Amino acid sequence: MLVYPQLATGALSQFPVQKRRSLRTVVNTSLDGRAIKLADPGAETTEWQLAYAGLTDDEVAALEQFFAASEGTLNSFTFLDPTGNLFAWSDQLSNAAWTAGPFLSLTGGIADPAGGMNAWRLANSGAGAQNISQTLSAPAGYLYCFSLFARSLAGTPVTVLHGTNCINQILGTDWSRIIVAASGDPSAESIAFGVEVPAGESADVFGMQVEPQAGASLYKATTIGGVYQNARFRDDVLSITTTGVNCHSATVNILYANNI
Amino acid sequence: MSTFPNLKTNAVAQYPATRSFRYQNQALRFLEGVEQRYRDSAGPLHRWEIRLAALDESEMAALEQFFFDNQGCFGNFAFTDPWDGTQYANCSLASDQLGLTALAEMQGKTSLTVIENRG
Repeated sequence: MLVYPQLATGALSQFPVQKRRSLRTVVNTSLDGRAIKLADPGAETTEWQLAYAGLTDDEVAALEQFFAASEGTLNSFTFLDPTGNLFAWSDQLSNAAWTAGPFLSLTGGIADPAGGMNAWRLANSGAGAQNISQTLSAPAGYLYCFSLFARSLAGTPVTVLHGTNCINQILGTDWSRIIVAASGDPSAESIAFGVEVPAGESADVFGMQVEPQAGASLYKATTIGGVYQNARFRDDVLSITTTGVNCHSATVNILYANNI
Repeated sequence: MSTFPNLKTNAVAQYPATRSFRYQNQALRFLEGVEQRYRDSAGPLHRWEIRLAALDESEMAALEQFFFDNQGCFGNFAFTDPWDGTQYANCSLASDQLGLTALAEMQGKTSLTVIENRG
């Protein structure tokens, strides 16, 4: 599986990042000005323009090797949206994208720290620990930052699951953001993130987010997630400009289309 | 029906914002040069150009999600005119394309055009 490389810092891109989403709507406009519209979701495309500066020799070599492995626009690869939350349906823990333990009950519509009603209460009625997680089809060896807001009225100790890493955290009665940045098994081609609640305990969670970088940014609610398989380079040319010793710059355009 | 998302400040737009009205009149010109004009629509249609800067990541994500939920210019939504507070129930985005630029942390930039629909 080809996967777009991270920089030495663990980031996938630098500022500025440009993202362009394009859809297609067929519009039939009547003489009286009314319009009949037909959506064509299959024609959706997403493009990113990543402008790099100050790349080291190693970073630019990795980029060149990856471009060579992709053979320009020929081969597809997995691209992790550097501006997005990699989770799908991050505010809908009852969605099929999430896997919850059989004795873990999920109650939505709880007041969240952002002023909405998108938090969830996880209550474990079983005799053992139960978790809710989402598995991403992305390389486990990458650096990911998993963050969530959590609280508990009873000081519940929860376990944050970050691939093979498990981090124990005792929750307070107020919302606090838990941030875990780590990388996992470099040979695994998928990685799961989630939270585990011990037997007989409950916890409120909100804003689960995974980003392919070392730090957490503001929470972004999602529906489609940020893992794009079958992305491609938009161009067959990769130009690297060397601006000094061990200092290079480049601009990369990446395209994802549903219909390719 | 969905509603156009507000920013965290509860504002809809930032400066500079552009609002326009469009009538749809027809003109018939006769041989002697005289013109006869008539209305070809029930009234004006509004158009708002909304340019947004200094957005944080949550606001950018909310706008992107709104664009995605509406499938570009396909979906209709209610839009409140930031000039006078009038709500227009039948509006849509003008384009099937949305560009988002992250210049730095909490320095997102985008622009959208909202049009009022007939009927």
